[in-house]
Amino acid sequence: MKILNLTAKQSNRILIHKNMEPIKLENSVEIILTPQFYTFLREELDIKFAYQAKQIAGSLFDDYIDTSLENQYHVYKCGDLWCFFAYNIKEIDLFLESVGIEKHRVSKIYFAQEFANELSRPLSLSGDYALQSVDGIVTMIPKRFLGDELEYLTLNTDKLKLKNGVTMGASLNSFVSLKETIILGSLLTLLGTSFIVEGNRIKSSIANEDAKLTTLIDENPKYGSSLLRDSILNKYKPIDTTERAKRQTMKDISRLLSSKSQLKELNINEKSISAVIDTQSPSISKQVSEHAKVKKMKVTRTGLTLKLEVEL
Amino acid sequence: MNLMTLQRYKNEIILFVAFLFALFSFLYKHSASSYVEENRAKINRQISDILAIENYKGQWDGKGLANKVKVLKSIVPASKVQSYSKKSKKLVAKYVNLTADELNRLNNKLINMPVRITNLKIKESSKNIFTMEFTCKW
Repeated sequence: MKILNLTAKQSNRILIHKNMEPIKLENSVEIILTPQFYTFLREELDIKFAYQAKQIAGSLFDDYIDTSLENQYHVYKCGDLWCFFAYNIKEIDLFLESVGIEKHRVSKIYFAQEFANELSRPLSLSGDYALQSVDGIVTMIPKRFLGDELEYLTLNTDKLKLKNGVTMGASLNSFVSLKETIILGSLLTLLGTSFIVEGNRIKSSIANEDAKLTTLIDENPKYGSSLLRDSILNKYKPIDTTERAKRQTMKDISRLLSSKSQLKELNINEKSISAVIDTQSPSISKQVSEHAKVKKMKVTRTGLTLKLEVEL
Repeated sequence: MNLMTLQRYKNEIILFVAFLFALFSFLYKHSASSYVEENRAKINRQISDILAIENYKGQWDGKGLANKVKVLKSIVPASKVQSYSKKSKKLVAKYVNLTADELNRLNNKLINMPVRITNLKIKESSKNIFTMEFTCKW
């Protein structure tokens, strides 16, 4: 068994072909699929974007591959043409496992077609097969068809500039697909961001009140003490309430007075207010009495004389 | 947990981190909300207390009243002021033979003054003639 020591920063690339020896990996790798694992087509199409090309990829391969299998497609622009690849990821996955490559260690999948230009001379893959570009298409060729004295290409795959790879990782290794991850992750991030924005907005909503309080306390530092505030309030509040009540009652009593209902006596002390009013007729007496009751005064009628009382 | 395991479950890790972010953001919002709810009432109460104190003090602390109450002596003819005694922050006054107009004028002046009326007596001594006595503090 071949053991790769992959301590280099860049992922090592492994050419995957059916005659390869099992290997043991300790780090992630990028794999390059040989034509044994994909079907390749080159088409000149009047389309602009890769996603449009990918939409029609399935129909292009109808006549070439078994459509009952679940195939994946990869497309990229190669010069003026579109390069289409059909592959079966499950088949690749099974094969990789059989040669000791765990799928989660595969960081990227490339297609050998991408470096067709480098394969003008055959690249030896195993004792029986070589890889060579034939009419610009990378092909597996049995070595017996090549000359015995042929000098094989020495190629360092790590130095190849490959850019049209497929990510295998996310969709196959995880319980959650990449698409679901993107959607759910974005939603959660959006939700989280909105919570933060809302939280900040809520916090700043009392900034005005806070500033006002700070200003008031700065003006009167002693009011910063709740004990002192309560003490002052306890002192003034009863005075304010009682004195306002006294004045309001005096105003109410004065409104009951007229030429036909005259004040005889008014007494105010700390606990109550009382007034004696003489009226000229029973109807006036009744009228004054009713008005006084509306103002929540206790009314005592003695003939045409009314005694009004209010507890403070 | 090595790097490969992390890489293998990176989708789940990303989702977990996003979930944690959303969870902590929610907790932050919730705590901000609770903080504001608790503190708004507290701050508003403090503000209203301070404003009330300033208001009460302005109203009832009696600054300058010693001079203002003098008007209660001059508002009616001197002959009708039977007694007028101002000591410290207390005024005791008695008026006699007040007409209804004089009584109203005096009464209005008194109730519009920010003093504590501890005692007030008005009595009709004869037809439309009144006596009035009061004690007030400030």
